[in-house]
Amino acid sequence: MTAPTLICSKNQENGLNIKKMKNSDSIGFKLLDQFRDGRNDKIWWRVFALLMIATVATRFYKLDQPDHVCWDEAHFGKYANFYINRTFFFDVHPPLGKMLIGLFGYLDGYNGSFHFDKPGDKFEEHQYMGMRIGCAVMGALLVPLSFLTVWEMTFSLPAATFGGLLILLDHGMLTLNRFILLDPPMLFFISAAIYSMVKFHNQRHRPFSLPWWSWLSSIGVMLSCSVAVKFVGIFVVIFVGCRTIADLWEILGDLSRPVSYTVKHFMARAICLIAMPTLLYMGIFYIHLAVLSNSGPGDGFYSSAFQVGLKGNYLHDGSTPRQVAYGALLTLKNAVTSGAYLHSHDHLYPEEIGGSQQQITTYAHKDDNNNWHVKRHNKLAPSWNSTRPIDFVRNGDLLRLEHFATGRNLHAHRSLAPITIKQFQVTGYGLDGVGDNNDIWRLEIEDGEEGQILETMLHRFRLIHYNLGCALTCTKKKLPAWGFEQDEVTCNPNRRDPNAIWNIEENIYPRLPNVSFRAYEKNFFQRFIESHVVLINGNSALKPKEGEATSKPWMWPINLRGQFFSGGQLQVYLLGNPIIWWGNLVFMVFYLILWVSVGVRTKRRITVTQREIMLQERALSACGWLWLGWLLHYLPFWGMSRVLYFHHYFPALLFSSMMSGILLDYVIESIPLSLPKNSFNASYAAILSATLLILFYSFYLFSPLVYGLVRYADTNSTMHHLHWLSTWEF
Amino acid sequence: MGDTEVKNRKVNRNKNKNEKNKEIPNPAVDPRDEGDGESTPEALPEELTEEPILKKSASPKKSEKKQRKAGSATAGQSLADLPTLAVTCHFNLLPMLLFGVALATRFYALDQPNSIVFDELHYGRYAGLYQKQTFFFDSHPPLGKQLLALAGYLGGFQGDFKFDKIGSSYNASVPVFAMRAVPALTGSLLIPLVYMIMLQLNYSQWTAALAGFLFLFDNALLTQSHYMLMEPIILFFAMSGVLCVLKFRALERSGNAQAHSYSLRWWGWLLSGSIFLTCALCVKYVGVYSYLLGLALVGHDFWEKVLGNLSLTKKQVFGHAVARFFAFFVVPLMVYIGVFYIHLTTLVNAGPHDSAMSSAFQASLEGGLSSIVRGQPLEVVHGSQVTLRHAHGSPCWLHSHAANYPVKYADKRGSSHQQQVTCYVAKDINNWWIVKRPNRTDLAVAAPLDRISHGEEIQLVHGITGRNLNSHNVAAPASPTKQEVSCYVDHNVSMPAQDVWRVEITNREEIGDVWHALESMVRLIHVNTSVALAFSGRMLPDWGHNQHEIVGDVMINQPNTIFNVEEHRYTRNEDEKDRQLELMTTDFIPLEPVVMGFWEKFFELQIRMLFISNENVQNHMYTSSPWEWLVLTRGIAYWVSPDSNAQIHLLGNIFIWYSATIALAAYCSLLVFYLLRQRRQCFDIHEEAWNQFRTTGEVLLLGYVFHFLPYFFVDHTLFLHHYLPALAFKLLLNAALVEHLYYLTRLVFAKQFFNWMCVLIVLTWMSGILMVFNKFLPLCYGLGPMNATQILDLKLRETWDFIVHKP
Repeated sequence: MTAPTLICSKNQENGLNIKKMKNSDSIGFKLLDQFRDGRNDKIWWRVFALLMIATVATRFYKLDQPDHVCWDEAHFGKYANFYINRTFFFDVHPPLGKMLIGLFGYLDGYNGSFHFDKPGDKFEEHQYMGMRIGCAVMGALLVPLSFLTVWEMTFSLPAATFGGLLILLDHGMLTLNRFILLDPPMLFFISAAIYSMVKFHNQRHRPFSLPWWSWLSSIGVMLSCSVAVKFVGIFVVIFVGCRTIADLWEILGDLSRPVSYTVKHFMARAICLIAMPTLLYMGIFYIHLAVLSNSGPGDGFYSSAFQVGLKGNYLHDGSTPRQVAYGALLTLKNAVTSGAYLHSHDHLYPEEIGGSQQQITTYAHKDDNNNWHVKRHNKLAPSWNSTRPIDFVRNGDLLRLEHFATGRNLHAHRSLAPITIKQFQVTGYGLDGVGDNNDIWRLEIEDGEEGQILETMLHRFRLIHYNLGCALTCTKKKLPAWGFEQDEVTCNPNRRDPNAIWNIEENIYPRLPNVSFRAYEKNFFQRFIESHVVLINGNSALKPKEGEATSKPWMWPINLRGQFFSGGQLQVYLLGNPIIWWGNLVFMVFYLILWVSVGVRTKRRITVTQREIMLQERALSACGWLWLGWLLHYLPFWGMSRVLYFHHYFPALLFSSMMSGILLDYVIESIPLSLPKNSFNASYAAILSATLLILFYSFYLFSPLVYGLVRYADTNSTMHHLHWLSTWEF
Repeated sequence: MGDTEVKNRKVNRNKNKNEKNKEIPNPAVDPRDEGDGESTPEALPEELTEEPILKKSASPKKSEKKQRKAGSATAGQSLADLPTLAVTCHFNLLPMLLFGVALATRFYALDQPNSIVFDELHYGRYAGLYQKQTFFFDSHPPLGKQLLALAGYLGGFQGDFKFDKIGSSYNASVPVFAMRAVPALTGSLLIPLVYMIMLQLNYSQWTAALAGFLFLFDNALLTQSHYMLMEPIILFFAMSGVLCVLKFRALERSGNAQAHSYSLRWWGWLLSGSIFLTCALCVKYVGVYSYLLGLALVGHDFWEKVLGNLSLTKKQVFGHAVARFFAFFVVPLMVYIGVFYIHLTTLVNAGPHDSAMSSAFQASLEGGLSSIVRGQPLEVVHGSQVTLRHAHGSPCWLHSHAANYPVKYADKRGSSHQQQVTCYVAKDINNWWIVKRPNRTDLAVAAPLDRISHGEEIQLVHGITGRNLNSHNVAAPASPTKQEVSCYVDHNVSMPAQDVWRVEITNREEIGDVWHALESMVRLIHVNTSVALAFSGRMLPDWGHNQHEIVGDVMINQPNTIFNVEEHRYTRNEDEKDRQLELMTTDFIPLEPVVMGFWEKFFELQIRMLFISNENVQNHMYTSSPWEWLVLTRGIAYWVSPDSNAQIHLLGNIFIWYSATIALAAYCSLLVFYLLRQRRQCFDIHEEAWNQFRTTGEVLLLGYVFHFLPYFFVDHTLFLHHYLPALAFKLLLNAALVEHLYYLTRLVFAKQFFNWMCVLIVLTWMSGILMVFNKFLPLCYGLGPMNATQILDLKLRETWDFIVHKP
């Protein structure tokens, strides 16, 4: 915290010399002057200390309440369990946040025994406080970080104080940062990255010094951590990227330095902001995959080859021939996320669906009905004890698949599939393996060469119906009761459907030597890449269900509707402090007006006082970046099709609150300017205290939402008159 | 650094050439001054336009010119007179010539195939509905469809043809030629338009002709212009708008901008620019990007040239701001509303999409709902028979039928086993409910009317089964977190009836406290448990006939809890049997239509179009993603002949598309390169060249980015034809880059030889384009017959899925 001393000279240059003002005779005004000045170390530290005390007080008060699972704690607590028990799971977010939660729990001695089944479950004797405290600490750090960020951006103590206060006194930030959620770590990493960025920017006059390097690497670390908590961290990466380009542009414009100097700067940033974070990010995944070494509920989302590496998975210890030959007994697995096995059973499609032939479905569990005999389209399958040379299945072959248990061939014909009526129906047809030529399928290995031998697990392939030219597809739609709610299988004229890809999982053929499944195990890089494919698919699959009331981005900034964290006797409701949120909106518009008016003024060369220019410059340059940051963290949600929640707005709120802090300072500094000179200090003090009063009172007013609101049956309770918007549901 | 020195050297060396370069685009300059014939780098487009395919369309002028051209080409170095000829004779001819070829290609075999091609299914149907004045709902604005309809009307279309599926043949009643002439004509006009745009951007006529050439011989633009589709229309409006805005800019930037201000020309270009751009927006909402481009250009000029012009007084600046505001905000709004005014005043009959709109809207249409609800009583009273429609989102009506909830659900939960209450998407006599006060037993309505108002408690009696709407603390069938709603059946299991509901009218500021049919939006709040009657969006399984689930929801403030009374009449009979008979048989005699003002209809339609459009074609076979458009990964099958493999497939001219993508990358790299160099105070090219290069970026690159980037953030199914507006800007950029590269060649190499090399390369490139165009021409017109080998021969990329259904 050496910063404050460093700055003083700057302010003097800018002519913010408060001493010129009159009326600084009383002690109160002297203090006020020092506060506005910000050069006095003592005052600076006192303000900071006060802020920290308030932070600790608000964040940790009644942290153990409610003593039951709140909202998404049900998920993230569960994930922490998985880390502690080292069982593999799947979640749509990258691992760092959950790893940290797991770590907090572990450090506290939590043994992963609580089930986190559903919100509302009592923790009872389980050690949940470690995780809550860990998250609360990360969340609490947001306040000093925003204080310091604003300080580094403007070197104005009032602005920094406001920046910190607006985060401190926002119920939304407070509520979100007190529970076992991903948001506290993510918000922490984001604001730490921004802080490092401004800190680094302020080192620009002594490049390649030790602090310069350390802040630069700190940006890199924080960036990769924020991406590793949630993918929305990518927005802060873009933000920092923009800032970096602007910096480099400045450096390039300095003609007193050679071009190689810019290149040197560029390389330093490339190493610290691209290469190092990438490695760190991969390192985090490495730990994730190394820790989760046991089979668990997430297995099914990953490919067969991935599952081989998980202890306790049936594939971990199994063995099978590598190549597939005619006559082998196979199970076919749909090669997409949580794909199931191709299945048939001795039941017919209902009469009204047409065909009355045997059902073909996919089934997620291992079952004897998943076994299929593979044979050439024109020959019977060779018996297992024949001595003729082994006939391998090759890419491009025409083949039939005979269901082992019922002797029906996999068959498709020109009638409508039961649910997806735009596709063709797939049935089991024939008797003891004798069918017709609608049973013939052509094997197309993905990216395979003609004549290549089909291999277990490694190859992904399509089965193209020979007559219809359509591809065997699992539509992932559930059949009704007559199909035992298994998934529908169709023949899809769109051969590019990603659901049309299959792989061989089990391959029974005694004439070929068995190879342990371990041979197919993926190395780290393959697992890393596959994890990402699955994550991204998982994320985009989170579509809102029809008719479900979803939260829309336009509702967020206006604080239209909150989110229940805990119902029952002790209500906790995530809702922003309306004064702060609506104030943020006002300041956002105010910034635009200011920006345009200053632009017009420069364009028209209208002169104003030195002091006004200085104030505006201070506010505008900092706010410009914060505005961009807000935009980057908010706008993309408009184009997202996945389910959105209210809490997605909070990273953007960080930016807009900091900006409001700066502009609040600007306004409070500017308004008294228009008043008579001798009343400057008095009016400044009046406005300042009024602002603070409103902020603190609004915090007090809505604080029961955070610390638990006892639910009253009658509508005349104290909180009832606080329904300023009819959409607030507490 | 030595950069400056280099710069100076280069500039000096090329000084005289540069002057000449500046003059080329200006037809007023006496061409004789231009000297050595270097000014004809792209001299070859018009030679090429003659070669292809469509020789028969060549005009006498053209062949004449060909000879002249051939003569001059052989003349070799004695080129002194070539530019003379070129400039004086060709200036007017070039665009005319290009336009002629465009007309020929666009109108060739226009009525073939005589069956529905791709989205003609929709647009043709809409044109038909216009003839019948029948209301329809589409999430795009109506201008394009209106033009088609107008053409159809002039061609004698009665709207009798049923557009059932792609590929079915048109009969004689459909004026196919007239209707397809709209896109064909606008598509042809594009070519002279882009020619003029390039001239306006200070490029030479040869570059302008090259741009026209690229537009002319792109297969995708041709295909799109050949059928009743919207893209050529939108492109025409957008490009016209851009041209007008550029003309306006030229006035603004000319030496005596003051003199031009508020002149007729000034207003003319400004207004026509904004009107054309708004028309583009009125064809499809994507036109908004062209509008934004125009706005950005005009705004930028205002900022720099007007606001930055200190010789203007405050008042003058203000005046300019107001004029521009008027042109770019007030006029577009008027045009937009005007288009919708025509739309809504034309379509007065009820039609197939009525149910997308509110009941009041439907009631204002002739026939359909209006014949039912017309003349029905307004105020809901004790004894009213009503149907309750779910007011927002998917339309359905509160429904019950004589079947109970199953005792156990599939997931082993129990139910109340009382009578099912659902939301049913079709009109049905089981949708009738009778409003009743809890304390009254008679049902027949008699004077004085016992009106129901906001906050009063009622019971709802199901008309056919006579049971009361009830809710209780039992989990709903498909949404276990919500409360079940049933029609009360007393199973004698100590489950009392909880069948009193409180009426809450949400829009009583406008309508008043008394419950009105159609207009009042009501919430029914269950008095015992304070839940609201809500549509959950889930579907019931077979036992519930796959109807939608109705629940009691604690979340009261949400659109799914709002219902309105659609059909309404007063009960006449006290006897239950008679009442049922009445429900089954009666129909009200229309008395007087419901009138809904234009503005109400307009705003409702806007809201529905902008917010409730979710026509998302999931899993369509020919979808593509924006990245794939850059390299033309996928086409779209438009039509296939029933008898052979002849087919129409939307595919760009792959040669043009690849070159344009490369040109885009090259332009961007050059731009970055120049900017970086200028940052170091090194100026590699002349100021004029740089200004031209920069303006190109402002208009064309920005236009491309505006039309392309948003697709990465939208969330509906995308097809190749969404790329065409962006492609148009990319093609222009490509032509511009060719001239810039030619300029660079001359800057770097002093020798004539290299200039001719350039010309030769461009020539070869163009002939390549023609060859590819020719090869894929059958896919544009759907001419046949073709056999499987011919089709497979065209399959240059593995990912192009042509239809092969015959040997």
